[in-house]
Amino acid sequence: MALERPQSIKPSSQLTLLCAVLLLLSVAASIGLGAGAVGPLEAWSALGGGGDAQARLVVLTLRLPRTLIAVLVGLALAGGGAMLQAAARNPLAEPGLLGVSAGSATAVVIAIALGLGHLHIIVAIGGALLGCALVLGAARLSGRGDDPVRLVLAGAALASILAASSATILLFDQRTADEVRFWTIGGIAGRSLAQVMPALPAVGLGLIGAAVVARPLAALALGEQVARGLGQHPQLIRASVVGCVALLVGAATAMAGPVGFVGLVVPLAARWLAGPDIRRALPVALALGPSFVLLADTLARLVASPAETPLGVVTALIGAPVLVLVVRRQRLPSL
Amino acid sequence: MPNSTSAALAAHALRLAYRQSVVLDAVSVTIPAHQVTAIIGPNGCGKSTLLAGLARLHAPEQGQIILNGRAIQRLVPRELARQLALLPQHVLAPDGLSVADLVRFGRHPHTGLLRQWSPEDQAAVTDALHTAGLADLAERPLTTLSGGQRQRAWIAMALAQSTPLLLLDEPTAALDLGHQIEVFELIRTLTRAGKTVVMVVHDLVSACRYADHMIALRAGSVIATGAPRAIITPALIRQLYDVQCTLLHDPTDGTPIIVGAQRAL
Amino acid sequence: MSDTRAQPSVLRARPPASPPRQPRGYWRLHWRGLSVLIERRGMLALLALALLGAAVAALSLGQGSVRIPPGRVIAALLGAADAPTTLVVRQLRLGRVFAGAAAGAALGMAGCLLQTVARNRLATPTTLGIDNAATAFAVASVVGVSTSLAPAAFALTGALSMLALVFALSGPGDTRGYRFLLTGMGLGAICGAATNIMLARAPIDAANQAYPWTVGTLNNRAGPTLALLGWSLLVLTPLALVLGAALNVARLPEPVARSLGVRITQLRVGAIALAGLLTGLAVAVIGPVGIIGLAAPELARRLAGPRSVPVLAAGLAGASLTMLADLAGRTLCAPSELPVGIVAALVGGPYVLWVLLRTPQGALNA
Repeated sequence: MALERPQSIKPSSQLTLLCAVLLLLSVAASIGLGAGAVGPLEAWSALGGGGDAQARLVVLTLRLPRTLIAVLVGLALAGGGAMLQAAARNPLAEPGLLGVSAGSATAVVIAIALGLGHLHIIVAIGGALLGCALVLGAARLSGRGDDPVRLVLAGAALASILAASSATILLFDQRTADEVRFWTIGGIAGRSLAQVMPALPAVGLGLIGAAVVARPLAALALGEQVARGLGQHPQLIRASVVGCVALLVGAATAMAGPVGFVGLVVPLAARWLAGPDIRRALPVALALGPSFVLLADTLARLVASPAETPLGVVTALIGAPVLVLVVRRQRLPSL
Repeated sequence: MPNSTSAALAAHALRLAYRQSVVLDAVSVTIPAHQVTAIIGPNGCGKSTLLAGLARLHAPEQGQIILNGRAIQRLVPRELARQLALLPQHVLAPDGLSVADLVRFGRHPHTGLLRQWSPEDQAAVTDALHTAGLADLAERPLTTLSGGQRQRAWIAMALAQSTPLLLLDEPTAALDLGHQIEVFELIRTLTRAGKTVVMVVHDLVSACRYADHMIALRAGSVIATGAPRAIITPALIRQLYDVQCTLLHDPTDGTPIIVGAQRAL
Repeated sequence: MSDTRAQPSVLRARPPASPPRQPRGYWRLHWRGLSVLIERRGMLALLALALLGAAVAALSLGQGSVRIPPGRVIAALLGAADAPTTLVVRQLRLGRVFAGAAAGAALGMAGCLLQTVARNRLATPTTLGIDNAATAFAVASVVGVSTSLAPAAFALTGALSMLALVFALSGPGDTRGYRFLLTGMGLGAICGAATNIMLARAPIDAANQAYPWTVGTLNNRAGPTLALLGWSLLVLTPLALVLGAALNVARLPEPVARSLGVRITQLRVGAIALAGLLTGLAVAVIGPVGIIGLAAPELARRLAGPRSVPVLAAGLAGASLTMLADLAGRTLCAPSELPVGIVAALVGGPYVLWVLLRTPQGALNA
């Protein structure tokens, strides 16, 4: 039976090496490159305590926190995307496309408008939970969960309703509009570690949950009936997946605003490298996610230097062609 | 059996391909007029592709198809549609139509922007509905029909096209025995009324019973053609399906019946 | 083979002696060799939608800072009312109502054509990314990539090139039009990203100026664009009607349609080009309100029934819906105003969800 422990759920050594090298390179790029006049070598020596005061300032207070945040966002979005895809059995189930990020972002806009900005982590997670539950729940209730494209279109519809609601609020509330103008596009520029600290427990909790639920989720991949036959509880598994995804995506949204397509591209690459079993794909996705976000963020700094391009824009520009390619390659709608 | 053996449709050295992969190569067949021709062969041998090619849905890479002495590539779509009707497998009608609505589509090649409906059109539709035994169900929504009735509705649409040639791809797929016989009897009636029918059939026994002429395909080539009783032999069946079997003959009409089949390795 | 086998009696039954002259549910007009079939239900639907449109227009013309009852609106239109009323109705409000009606009609017809061609009821200007492309182009024009060209012209270009790109990239048609939709969504996301870059990098006043193009509103319609839309509708509507009639047979599975003599490729290209033109012209006037292109054909189909492709009915429904959305946006939270695009998304989004979730598997075919 396929649920026996596979020969090895550990990734091959080459794969581990590849992920590690990629991560190192992207961290190096993120710390070494940027708008300021601090070059890679200078940046590295500043990291070790050398270099002049300005270089230390740039590296330690700007680039290092930013790199750490990007790693967190990458972990959270890649993990959330991988889980969501496995649970929906749909390679297009991505937090952004399904409207989960939009749910989270709208919740934050509402919170800020109501003067509850300081609660925005909790609110973001709540919004993600609501978005996730709405789109997956509605699809399941009507028995359309197996149709991949319908799920995505439902997500798009949900996202457009939420965007219109946000726009309505912002229309009447100039102060909130100014506050969230850049945040709603998605970006991690100019955030301090202190600001994102509250998101850390959520990411941790979400990742632990993901590790726990990966094995039953692999059983669910064989189909509802089979999973039930193997002693699993599909509803329980799905509920816990929704919980994890909400924690991860909510935290990521709170940190960086709605950043799309990370949860599509990274799990896709992970599945391509490690095969469809979520127990193997999840670690690879978690290893690749930070690299992807780091590289996208570095690009965001460099493309229009000295101006910043929002991170969400860069990930969309990379991710949308990937979506088109996937759609072209696969035999729809069986995907 | 009608003794006219003039060819209604003929393919010469036909080569059909999807992108790079060649599905049919050097296929030459003649379809005898006023008879039922069955195309048989294992899965993936190119039966449906041949049928689509004969209906010009699939442009050949090489070779040509001759209808009434003219290459069908030269015909205007409407002109061809008045000569030849095709019914593919697994067809889904637009939502909400009634049987008569569907059958009316068959008149499309005979109507135009300013000649939208003539008494002949109406007569052809009524006739098609009666021939297919659906006159009483004409106003019923298609979704309320049984599988066999729905299949007959599609056949009725092809009949309303009033073409001498009718190409059917697995007309009895997914039908139970009773409905299969119903459809095959209808097809036989049509050839008696002068139509030429070409059909892809999966079930070899029905093909033997209802076809006057057979084309056996394997891996994109024709390996036998002729009357079923003349060409169906244990050797051919083995060649087609890798199956070892014995043939008996139906005592009532001499149709070959396959017994004791097992996979030959 | 024996020819003497008895045939089932049902197959031998003959047609009745005097068959009816036309299919049930139709009127047939004929003169010499020419004949025209008119579907009764479709005709009644057209009538009902035209009445609805007229009523909404009258209501909309009467609504605003000065309220004018419908009777006096009609009088003003006919030139039989006092001068101030005539001024308000004709000079101040008529342009806006006409813009809404014309853009809505164009979007409704475009949506109907696109849905039929893509064989999917969810294929609309919005889901195909056409809105996003038009917005991106218009914003590019406003925030200064080139201010010399009117944003409306840019929006039209964006819409047309997007539609061509989606069709080129989505490759050969699949039966449910899904590839088409997802390709459009992907490309739309790229355009959305581009819009965001431009808005984020633009000076604040340019960003504010570009804002209407991102939500869809009737506030910034330009006279020449509106005139262009109006005249184009006069020419394109008959074309859309002819195409719609031809597309009726193309609703059958593609091999069947082709074996019925339909030149499906030409028909498809024509319908797509026409839909692109209509969408582009509408977006140039009203901005991204493509959801009208989804809702209007749905309403039209519901009223006109399944027997034809209701192009004209969809146009009338689109006009009414757009005028209604604009009316709601102006009156619901008066004195401030909700852009018509937001009203449409707030109402249309749940509607899409509803269509998605309650339609059975495989039955989203237009």
